[in-house]
Amino acid sequence: MAGGYSLAAGGITLANQAVTLVFVNPIASPNLDLEFRRFWINQSNNMASVNLRYQINTQVTAFPTLVSQTPAKLAIADAASIITGNTTGAAGTCGINASAEGAGTKTIIWADSFNTTNGALLVLTPEEIIEMAAGAASGLGLHLPVAPGTLTNWAFGCTWTEG
Amino acid sequence: MGDDRHLLIGRANGHLFRREDKSESYVVIPPAHLITDSDGGMWTFGFKYDGYGEINVLRNDMDTGEFAARIEYRRGQVRIYGKAGWRVFSRSRRHFI
Repeated sequence: MAGGYSLAAGGITLANQAVTLVFVNPIASPNLDLEFRRFWINQSNNMASVNLRYQINTQVTAFPTLVSQTPAKLAIADAASIITGNTTGAAGTCGINASAEGAGTKTIIWADSFNTTNGALLVLTPEEIIEMAAGAASGLGLHLPVAPGTLTNWAFGCTWTEG
Repeated sequence: MGDDRHLLIGRANGHLFRREDKSESYVVIPPAHLITDSDGGMWTFGFKYDGYGEINVLRNDMDTGEFAARIEYRRGQVRIYGKAGWRVFSRSRRHFI
């Protein structure tokens, strides 16, 4: 099994719309599957206590338009991720902070809400780990279905293992 | 322009966080991501696991040396829960007891 990887960002200004915060699309088969372990959302400069909904969803093409970001290794000794940063959300790529959501159908697989002063941390138990198989037709996104009241200074991310 | 002096300011996951107030009692990580204590300490989990499903506990991005399954703020005290049961962050702000 290859190592663990994160796709995380901070100090991000979101568009005033529903927005996909992180999007990871498995690589074409045959290759390693992705097992998502953790997701988080928070706002680093937040003085207002409000509740906000979030979703984890899959999305088929057309995918969101993203800001390209390369996954980080959680352990220096690990090989680089098989996923690379890109703006298109295509297979084998990932990105953050979508500027356009794309027309592809989203399927919600997790939905919850959080208080913006506390943020949200979802640590999936082994039985709940979200697996995205290589060659899957869809990518996985962490999504705010409603624009937040304050658009600046968002921090968010996810981790996964490849194996 | 500098920050207001009354703000609680700390670090979590590599980012500077600012809050007007400490966390409410009974905020628990997870599902919360962050607890703010009365000193501006920002509590969250790191990315290390101990083999029991517990995660390393960070305060202002400094590893406390403790692993836990949850972090809770209750009546002004940070408590962690793990295989050793409940432990409370000491008034001296140095260790869990």
